[in-house]
Amino acid sequence: MIEVSGLTKEYKIALRKPGLTGAIQALFKREHQIKQAVQDVSFSIRKGEMVGYLGANGAGKSTTIKMLSGILTPTSGKVEVNGIVPYQNREQNAKGIGAVFGQRTQLFWDIPVRESYDLLRHIYEVPEDDYRESLALFTEVLDLGPLLSIPVRQLSLGQKMRCELAAAFLHRPAVVYLDEPTIGLDVAVKQKIRTFIKEMNKREETTVILTTHDMGDIEELCKRIIIIDEGKVLYDGDLQQIKERFGQKRVVHFELENKAGFAVPASLRDRVEIVPKADGEAEASNTVSLSFSSRDLSAADVIQAVLSVHSVRDLTIADPKIETIVKEIYERGV
Amino acid sequence: MRKYYEMMKSQMKIETAYVAWFWAGTFATVVKILILYYFWTAVYENRSSIAEMPLETMLTYAVIAALLGNFHFAGPGNQLAEQIQSGGVAVELLRPYDLINRLVWQSWGGFGMSLVRDMLPMLAVGWIFLGIQFPATGTGAVLFILSTLIGLFLAMYIDLILGVLAFWTVNIFGLRTLKNAILLFFTGSMVPVTMFPGWLQTLSQYMPFQSIVYVPVSIYTGTLAGLDALSAMLVQILWLALMWAVVRVIWSLAVRKVTVFGG
Repeated sequence: MIEVSGLTKEYKIALRKPGLTGAIQALFKREHQIKQAVQDVSFSIRKGEMVGYLGANGAGKSTTIKMLSGILTPTSGKVEVNGIVPYQNREQNAKGIGAVFGQRTQLFWDIPVRESYDLLRHIYEVPEDDYRESLALFTEVLDLGPLLSIPVRQLSLGQKMRCELAAAFLHRPAVVYLDEPTIGLDVAVKQKIRTFIKEMNKREETTVILTTHDMGDIEELCKRIIIIDEGKVLYDGDLQQIKERFGQKRVVHFELENKAGFAVPASLRDRVEIVPKADGEAEASNTVSLSFSSRDLSAADVIQAVLSVHSVRDLTIADPKIETIVKEIYERGV
Repeated sequence: MRKYYEMMKSQMKIETAYVAWFWAGTFATVVKILILYYFWTAVYENRSSIAEMPLETMLTYAVIAALLGNFHFAGPGNQLAEQIQSGGVAVELLRPYDLINRLVWQSWGGFGMSLVRDMLPMLAVGWIFLGIQFPATGTGAVLFILSTLIGLFLAMYIDLILGVLAFWTVNIFGLRTLKNAILLFFTGSMVPVTMFPGWLQTLSQYMPFQSIVYVPVSIYTGTLAGLDALSAMLVQILWLALMWAVVRVIWSLAVRKVTVFGG
């Protein structure tokens, strides 16, 4: 369905010296630096697969998706989607794909959602009956009924995302690219969106490529993940496997009455690590974060040990984040 | 073809989305036409003709030209430039249609709405209350409509050239201001081109702008008739073909730039 081999994209970035002198110099002479956004990426995705495409911000996810959708021409390498080379046949390719970009609306801002859908039906030349059927199904699964007659600008973020998602699937595309479809949404809406994606995949065998920072999306939808960092593929394979290997690191955050006398309890020594403060965090705050591997300790053990020695005001247990896993893979290798 | 027609319709729906804005447009046109009326009446106070044009012809020219001139300021190029600035053009490129065609058709939707909103009511007001003349002849009326349509197409493609330039300059505000000033003057929507000094008239003849307003309105008033009218329309068509070709060339360059260099 999707064949990618040796895909590379380089950008030329204009370098500027700082200050006014730099700005004036840049008017006459520009220096360029070549940035490799994507380097030698290869993968192949079968029809009906749902693949999570993961990586930190700026890792090259969007660049890859843009090349798959034909709005970027690769510097080198091969792409084929549905038997079409996207950047050579952009309009042809566009008929067979759907896309949601979490940050960007594709519906018409000023007119009711239904009118936008109606226009999309004509743009993608969807037969009337198919359109009706799809719309009925989407309305049911995504609960769009009350939204259809409202202009997009008056919808909340969650309502808008549901409408966007329906728009991406309206012409029953063979491939759908979802770029952070659940960003900034509450749990209930996230759940609706996941259910919908699953349903479409089941019914239409839609191939889905999903980029997200939400582990929940991945766990519920994807069996396979591709992790990319600094433009290179770090991992391509089973989600379960990677979770077993890297996902055991857990973190508990404690908010203490008084941080001054904090020491790791004796029973935990050498089995937990104090997580250094992230950059923006206030040094003075009374929180301490302990990380440990769930192979040798349970969260309950850690909490109990700390509670018995210190007075704790509040605590939270953090789920393993994709970023953490990516970072760890990057540091330790697969 | 059907999809572009639907886009035109959806633009008409968008135009009616903001009711106050819609009627404000009508109001602005009424005020504009009244100003034109009193201005030209005052100018003609002590004379019977200027550049061989009597007051009635001048008023007819001024009102029709003002109505046509309404369309030339917010065109398809403006929309394109906005999409380029906001980055929305990437989404447009994901769609199975030609963006230039889409923008042109949407503009026709805007024109259709404007026809109903300002042009026809204002023409009626002009005919009934301000002594605006009817087209000189029946043939003149038909040629006027055809020539207006060609002129609008031409205006859209000139606007699109500016819009596509935004791929390189990102901000085209300065260019747009310049273009609006040039259009206001050289299309003849302020005063007929025949009132320019000789050298300026010659210059104007070698530019596409007078094909946008001056030619159709002169056909309406009968200043251009018969063979003159037909040859003026031929010139219109030639300019349109040229501008169309320019837009197509720079558009394909722009798309290549976006897809190769990532904007």
